[in-house]
Amino acid sequence: MAEDFLQVEQLSKSFGATTVVAEVSFRVQRQEIFGLLGPNGAGKTTTIRMLATVLKPTAGEAFIGGHALTTEGAALRRLIGVCPQELALYPELSALDNLVFFGRMAGLSGRQARATAQENLDVVGLLEVAGRRVETFSGGMKRRVNLAISLMNRPQLLFLDEPTVGIDPQSRNRIFETVEGLRDEGMTILYTTHYMEEADRLCNRLGIMDQGRLIALGSPQELKAMIGDPDQVTLEQVFLELTGRTLRDTV
Amino acid sequence: MRAVFAGVFARLIRVGLLATLEIRRMLVNRGELAFGLALPIVLFTLMYGAFGQDVAFRGVAQVVDLDGGVGARAFVERLDALDEISVRERTFSDAERALERSAILLAIVIPDGFSEGLERGETVSLRLLQHGNGGDEGQVVAALARAVALGLRREAGLRTQLATALEEQEVTLEEIDATLTELRTAGPAVGVQLRTTGESNDGFLVRMVAGLLVMFVMFSVTLSSQYLVEERQLGTLERLLTTRMNALELFLGKFLAGIARGGVQSVLLLTLAFLTFRLGGVAEFGSMLLLTLFLLAAVSAIGLVIGALARTPDQASWAAAFLTTYMAIFGGNFIEISNEGVLGWISQFTLNRHIMDAMIAVLSLGESVGQQVGAIALMLITALLGLILARWSFRFSAAGAVA
Repeated sequence: MAEDFLQVEQLSKSFGATTVVAEVSFRVQRQEIFGLLGPNGAGKTTTIRMLATVLKPTAGEAFIGGHALTTEGAALRRLIGVCPQELALYPELSALDNLVFFGRMAGLSGRQARATAQENLDVVGLLEVAGRRVETFSGGMKRRVNLAISLMNRPQLLFLDEPTVGIDPQSRNRIFETVEGLRDEGMTILYTTHYMEEADRLCNRLGIMDQGRLIALGSPQELKAMIGDPDQVTLEQVFLELTGRTLRDTV
Repeated sequence: MRAVFAGVFARLIRVGLLATLEIRRMLVNRGELAFGLALPIVLFTLMYGAFGQDVAFRGVAQVVDLDGGVGARAFVERLDALDEISVRERTFSDAERALERSAILLAIVIPDGFSEGLERGETVSLRLLQHGNGGDEGQVVAALARAVALGLRREAGLRTQLATALEEQEVTLEEIDATLTELRTAGPAVGVQLRTTGESNDGFLVRMVAGLLVMFVMFSVTLSSQYLVEERQLGTLERLLTTRMNALELFLGKFLAGIARGGVQSVLLLTLAFLTFRLGGVAEFGSMLLLTLFLLAAVSAIGLVIGALARTPDQASWAAAFLTTYMAIFGGNFIEISNEGVLGWISQFTLNRHIMDAMIAVLSLGESVGQQVGAIALMLITALLGLILARWSFRFSAAGAVA
């Protein structure tokens, strides 16, 4: 049986009286791509922010590589890479300088950071424009830089929060290939997306969240089987069946 | 032990890298760089324009000569010869138009018959045309013009009396005029000694230079308050907090960036001021720079507190602007505030009051920076408390919940 690299146990987050994540539990095995799906405001990003040590959980615990989230934050941060939903780049700096800077912040030496940055830029297809300022890049290129930065510390667990939002098919495909390549190299990935076909293609297992709760868990095939013939049913049908058709506008 | 040192060294490296990042971002952004360097130069130019010249009164007398005679020319020449006044002659219509549109506030009209009246020893008069009350400059110019005219009138009277008295001794008018000219140009009949109480002109200049420098440094509150807000907006703040960098390193890095950035600009401003106004030597320059850096440390830390609490750039800007204005007004950047009264009491709660006093003591009284212990201690305590408060405030912001 494969080892659980990420264990989430009864994780909750409240802001005042509003509960955003309620007693969420799941496990992700090493070298697995685990997808978190859910409508807007379901609590996916908050869950990732808690696991990435940016937000403090109100209750519950998580373990990453055996390190407890609430007490071993510093050790845990060495194991993770975070690709946030919003671009997190310095627009005035070149792609290479962005990667080198975050590499140094992750503990790499100058030489290591430079070498790793070039490797990562090559992986995401941006090595030729490494010296160009990020502010001159297209949306897709910026997304790929965003991903490349999250790989600078060679993480064992990578959080990808909607990494393909608003980009061209070529960039999206490059990101898919990169993610699959990382998984094949042994990385564990927690992936959130609104695109069902993306989740179907990439993820070994999925969790569907709604209103802060995890309402379904399983492989894409298992989830499809919940409402019909897995070969006939799409993941989008499962999603709508489980979360309803009511619009979820978050404010 | 070795591991501890290695850990501390790694932390310092991260702090340095973060501080350097801000400087690099400023250097890469050409517009911001040009503005950052131009600002001290513009401030210095203003400083020089305002205080680089003699601080004594200087005015322009707008004169309309409707007479054109010898007496009128003598009046214009003597007025122009005064140190405080230069003369600009206008036609009557030109002067009226200029007064109408407030281009000038006072014109002195020499009426027709002025010279003849003087020659005959009669009472002559000047006409003053003024817009409103003529303004401060106009009133001073008018008073000086009256004095010149009175001198002419008395001289003319004396000349007539002498001519009459010496007529029988066959002394000619030319001889009387030559003697009068000799007497007039021999020098003033009464010597004046100037003794200044309170601040001398030099003291005034020192206060203004220190005031502008301190004002400029206080702008750093705005800059450092934006560092965190900007990181938050870019999304890089969260990303940084998922690396090995902790919140304390984050604040120290931003703190150093604020000092470095303001320091470069302050060195530029100080150098220009010292070279132009000859405020002192290397020791005074070094002392002023040190005091500036201590103030920069304090205001950078205050900026970080604002940045940690503010949720938007506007909130941070307004809070920083309020604080800067408060200190500029109540800290006595440009006016001396006594220790007495409510204003004196309020001014004790500003940073600039204390650092200004220290700077003035260095430049005017020749004290060393080592004698400014009180002001330096206040700056360092403010910086330390600011950093602690910023770090503490950050816990309550969304991004700082765990860090």
